[in-house]
Amino acid sequence: MAVVHIDNLAPGMVLSRNVCDRSGRLLLPAEAELTEKHFSIFRMWGVLEVEIVGETVVEDGPEIPANEEIAPELLAEARAEVERLFVYNDPQHPAIKELMRICTERRASRET
Amino acid sequence: MKRSPQLSVEDMVEDVSTIHSLPLFYSQLSEAIDHPRSSIGDIAKIISEDQGLTARILKLANSPLFGYFSKIDTITQAVTIIGVLQVRDLALALSVMDVFKGIPEDLVNMEQFWKHSIATGLASRVLATSQREANLERFFVAGILHDIGRLVMYVRVPDLCLELLEQCRATGTLLHRAEREKFSFDHADVGGALLKRWKIPPRVAEPVGSHHHCSRGGQYPREASILHLADIIAHAMQIGNSGEVFVPELDRDVWERLQISCYFLPTLVKQVDTTYEQAVSVLYGSDDSAR
Repeated sequence: MAVVHIDNLAPGMVLSRNVCDRSGRLLLPAEAELTEKHFSIFRMWGVLEVEIVGETVVEDGPEIPANEEIAPELLAEARAEVERLFVYNDPQHPAIKELMRICTERRASRET
Repeated sequence: MKRSPQLSVEDMVEDVSTIHSLPLFYSQLSEAIDHPRSSIGDIAKIISEDQGLTARILKLANSPLFGYFSKIDTITQAVTIIGVLQVRDLALALSVMDVFKGIPEDLVNMEQFWKHSIATGLASRVLATSQREANLERFFVAGILHDIGRLVMYVRVPDLCLELLEQCRATGTLLHRAEREKFSFDHADVGGALLKRWKIPPRVAEPVGSHHHCSRGGQYPREASILHLADIIAHAMQIGNSGEVFVPELDRDVWERLQISCYFLPTLVKQVDTTYEQAVSVLYGSDDSAR
């Protein structure tokens, strides 16, 4: 069982848990096999992540920033600054990890 | 560190709530809204008496922040479309921003302070939207007011606060923890107490009072949780500054309770970024740039 962002889903993956929209309406039941059509439906209903069967097949690589135009030294600088800022938070917590990643990129891209 | 046991939260807000009082206008408005027989026209009339506020409410209502389709050009329309309670909340945010003035620059830069508050307000509004909450403006207002207790402390005990600020910068501790250690309460408690004195509805006052200790419960745990997270996001985005140098610690239980996906965070940050400039120019800009 792994939680996967919809951008990282691939057809053929099997759901391990019901997918519901934000108000709790069932969109697709557990054990359904995903197809391309489902992805667009998920997007339409604002689903951001689903739980699928099996270990994390796709490593959602948050470590690699999406835009390569940021100079690595700027990124390192931004990361150091963000780490200093988050010193009272647990960097392993999923939300904090994501927030730190966003902030690092945001900071680095503003300096260019 | 020595404590100052002679000070309590009540002492803090005692004088401040009378010297720095909300404009008479707000209580009039509130009274009119609570009165069962007042009409939208009555309410609009009270708001129209304050020219500056009228202009800012209209600007705010017409900004993409709200996303209303048609153009709103009278207060009556604003009240009808946005809703009476929402307009009251906006009026509250706008009037409070004018109340605290003349705090020495070495303690707090008011512009930075309100920028942090506005960012928190926006973040909490976006979060509330994603949680399908009703009456979004109360979240916005709670965000704007969440650190108001700090201003009270700066007015009331400026020397102690300066000492605390310097100590935090030197040792790298979290300001709200240092406050708690020194006074045995923090700015959130003070803010909550002040808002209560001002007779601000508890749905705004209580979350403000517990935004650093959401687990204390109370009647509005969801609001407090959203505010807690919004504060962290505003800190993380480094928009403005209210005195705290670091990102306050995220309460794990709050995160669990909110049931927000991590993948929502990029959208959230982006939305705050896109609406931020506009919100600042409406709430803090143009006519009062001389401040």
